[in-house]
Amino acid sequence: MKRTDGELILFWCLPAIAIIWVSAFFLFPGFLHPMSPTMSADAVAAFYRDETARIRYSMILFNWFGVGLIPTVILLAMQVRRMAHRTPILSYSLISCAGGPPCLFLIANLFWLLGSFRPERAPELTQLLNDLAWVTFTVLVPFLIAQCVLLALAIYWDHQEQPVFKMWVAHFNILVAVALAPAAFTALTFTGPLAWDGLLSFWVKNIAIFVWIVVMGIVLGQTIRQQRAEEPVAA
Amino acid sequence: MSSPLSRLAWNFRHNPKRELWFAWWMMDIFYQLYDVLFFFVTRVQPPASPAWSTPMVLQWFDTRHYGILAGFGVVFLISGLCAPMNALLAYSMRRMSVSRVFGYSYLIMYSLSAIPGMLVMAIAMTVGALRPDRNPEMIHWLFDFAFLSFSGTMGVFMIGSLVWLVAILIDKNGVFPKWFGYLGLCNALTEVVVAPAWIFQRGVFAWNGAIAWWINMVVFVTYTVCFIVLLRKMIEREDFGDGVLPDLPPKVERSQPDSVGAMR
Repeated sequence: MKRTDGELILFWCLPAIAIIWVSAFFLFPGFLHPMSPTMSADAVAAFYRDETARIRYSMILFNWFGVGLIPTVILLAMQVRRMAHRTPILSYSLISCAGGPPCLFLIANLFWLLGSFRPERAPELTQLLNDLAWVTFTVLVPFLIAQCVLLALAIYWDHQEQPVFKMWVAHFNILVAVALAPAAFTALTFTGPLAWDGLLSFWVKNIAIFVWIVVMGIVLGQTIRQQRAEEPVAA
Repeated sequence: MSSPLSRLAWNFRHNPKRELWFAWWMMDIFYQLYDVLFFFVTRVQPPASPAWSTPMVLQWFDTRHYGILAGFGVVFLISGLCAPMNALLAYSMRRMSVSRVFGYSYLIMYSLSAIPGMLVMAIAMTVGALRPDRNPEMIHWLFDFAFLSFSGTMGVFMIGSLVWLVAILIDKNGVFPKWFGYLGLCNALTEVVVAPAWIFQRGVFAWNGAIAWWINMVVFVTYTVCFIVLLRKMIEREDFGDGVLPDLPPKVERSQPDSVGAMR
C-alpha cells in the first residue's frame, strides 16, 4: 500500500477553496455589478454604510482563503521539476511567483475591510480606501502573468518522449497571460473596457483567472494521478 | 544557412544553458526597464522632497499625471520579471558549497521584497495621481506612503544581501569572487543608513538626501552592475555540454551523484 504523502490532500483543497472564492465573490456586493470608479465620494460612502455586513463577511472569507492558491502553484512547480530541464530555474521562478498574488490580494482585502470598519467616517476617506482596494485588486496581475508565461516556457522546453504537460497547456497559459495584461493599465481611465469595472480589467481578467484555476486544476489532477500510478510515492 | 534570428531560435530551443540565459536576460531587461520607467516615464526618481508643502506636492503630481498612470501600468505588467531574476540568484547559491537553505531563503526574501519595495509604492503613486481633485492632504499622504514604502522597505534587502554575502564568503566552489561578498556588505549597509528617512524631512538623511538616496543609489547601481556581469561569467563557466540531461527519465526516485545534485 502506498504511503500517504499528502499531495492529494493539498490538491483536493483547490476545488473546495475555489467554491469558497466563488461564494465570496458573489457575496461581496461590489463585484456582480462592479463598483464604478466614477462613483462620487458620497455614493461610495453610502455603499459602505448600506452594505457593511456583506462587505465584511465576504472579505473575511477572502482573507481566510485567499492564500489557498499557493499550494496549487507549488504543485505546478513540483511538476516543472520533473521536466527535461537542466536547471531548477523555472521551478524556482514559479516558487518566487507563488506568494505575490495572494499577498497583493490581501492588501486590497485589508483596504476593503478598513473601509467597512467605520463606514460613518468622512466620505472622502472611505473613497480613498475604496480606491486603494480597487486599484490593488485590479493591478495584482504581474505575478499571475509571470506564472503563466513561465509555465508555458517550461512546457515548451520539456523535450522528452512523454512530456509532463501537453503542448496545448502552454498555449492556454500564454492566452491567459494575454487576457490578464490589460488590467495593469486600469488607472488610465474611469470609463470603457480598461476602467476597473470594465470589460477587460474586470470581466476578462477575473474570468481568465477563474478559467485558469479550473483548467489547470483538471490538468494538474490528471498529471498527478498519472504520475502516482507510474512511480512509487516518494518517502 | 543561419541568419541571426534562426540562430537565436535554435539557441532558444536547444542551447543547453537556455534556462540560465533566459533568466539572465530577463534580469537585464528588468533593470533596463526599471531605469526607464522610474526615471523617465513616471519621473518619480530622483525622488521629490519630503519637506515640500502640500501645493508643491499637488503640482508635482500634476506634471506627472499620465506618466505615473501609464508608467506604473507597465510596472504592473512586467514586475513578474523579478521571478526569473530571483531564481537565477538563488541558483548561484545552489552552485555553491553551502546549504540549500541559503538559496531558498534568498529566493523567498527577494520575492517578498518586490511587494512593499516596489508594487505598494506603484499603487500609492497611482492612487495619488488617480483623482487630482481629491482632498490635497490625502494626496500628500499618498506621496509620503509611496516614497516611504519605496525607501523605507529595508529588512528584506538588508538580510537578503547578507544571506548572499555569507554564502559567497563560505563557498568553496568559487562561484563568485570574495570581493563581491564585501560589496554585498556595502549594499546591506545602504539599508541601514536609509532608516533615518523615516524620521527626517530634510537634510542628508531624508529620503531624497545625499546619504539616504544619492550615495545609496551609487552603491546599489555598482552592486547590481557587478552581479549582472558576474552572473554572466558564472553562466559562461557552466559546463553542461550537450549530452543527456542530468536526470532523465525521472521514473524512480533517484539517488544522484553529488555533482549532478549540485545542479538540480
